[in-house]
Amino acid sequence: MSYALLSLAIGAVLGAFAPIAVPVAYAKLFSVALLASLDSVFGGFRAAMEEKFDNTIFISGFFTNALLAVFLVYVGDHLGIDLYYVALLAFGLRIFQNLAIIRRYFFRKHG
Amino acid sequence: MSSLRRSQISISFVCMVLGFMLTMQFRIAMDQRSSLPYQRTEELSARLLQTEKERDALQEQVAKLEEAAAKRTAEPSSQQTIQELRLRSGQVALTGPGVIVTIDDSKIASKAGDNQNLYIIHDDDLLKVINELRAAGAEAISVNGQRLVATSEIRCAGPTLSVNNVRSAPPYEIRAIGDVQTLENSLRMRGGVMETLQVWGIQLEIQASESVTVPAYKGIGTYQYARPAEEASS
Repeated sequence: MSYALLSLAIGAVLGAFAPIAVPVAYAKLFSVALLASLDSVFGGFRAAMEEKFDNTIFISGFFTNALLAVFLVYVGDHLGIDLYYVALLAFGLRIFQNLAIIRRYFFRKHG
Repeated sequence: MSSLRRSQISISFVCMVLGFMLTMQFRIAMDQRSSLPYQRTEELSARLLQTEKERDALQEQVAKLEEAAAKRTAEPSSQQTIQELRLRSGQVALTGPGVIVTIDDSKIASKAGDNQNLYIIHDDDLLKVINELRAAGAEAISVNGQRLVATSEIRCAGPTLSVNNVRSAPPYEIRAIGDVQTLENSLRMRGGVMETLQVWGIQLEIQASESVTVPAYKGIGTYQYARPAEEASS
């Protein structure tokens, strides 16, 4: 757990001081990617709780989810379909679902 | 053990990427907050300030030139005439007893099927009030800081009113100098302007004051087309 938090902090510091900035035009895509990544991480957490954690699935899911989400939103933008909100809704719902499940497991373990 | 080790590495890596993305996103959000619309307002307010400065400078110049012209026309009688004319044409800010009438759009919700237009102020509402004030002997009138002179217009410009080609939004403040009692009574008359407007909930507030200041006309006073007709030919 601690190494995960530590690397999160390292990443945060790197992001804060990185000399690159995402152009405003891509801010929307970036936020979708972020949400997808968050979803993957919570999904991984949940899998770990269920003791079904698979490293390959986790890693591949993390990146393909983010990239696919970005790709879909990008294509949707060009086709005039606002997939952005769909992605937000889908990922958001899943994050909350995963959180609920994680909570249940947590209480079953410790309560 | 090695698989645990691998998973640890991958989780740390993923967490690092996530942290990186989180702070990046945070930075984007910060940037956006301080970007376009804000910059636009800043830019506009800066331009407004500059324009106001320019205007003030020009007004000062006008005042100086007029002073110089006044010195040249040393004759006291002509100077008096000029002063009189300036007073009448609204080139001078005036002060005296009068009323300040504030008009605002209706606060009551329009009933279904009612014409919503009846609940907002129109140019003719304002014209009625001003007409009433003039009839009651108002000597100088301004609307939202715009002096009414002989060439002033009052007309709807979208949701705003344009006076002297300057637009302003409600509430409208009409300042009038004249006999306080007469001015006030002319508006409060039974079946008069105030009563009619209040049917639609348009808020009309009259405030009598011992000293009302009406600003000077800020437009240009030169004529482009009209010139004096020759006495002989007419």
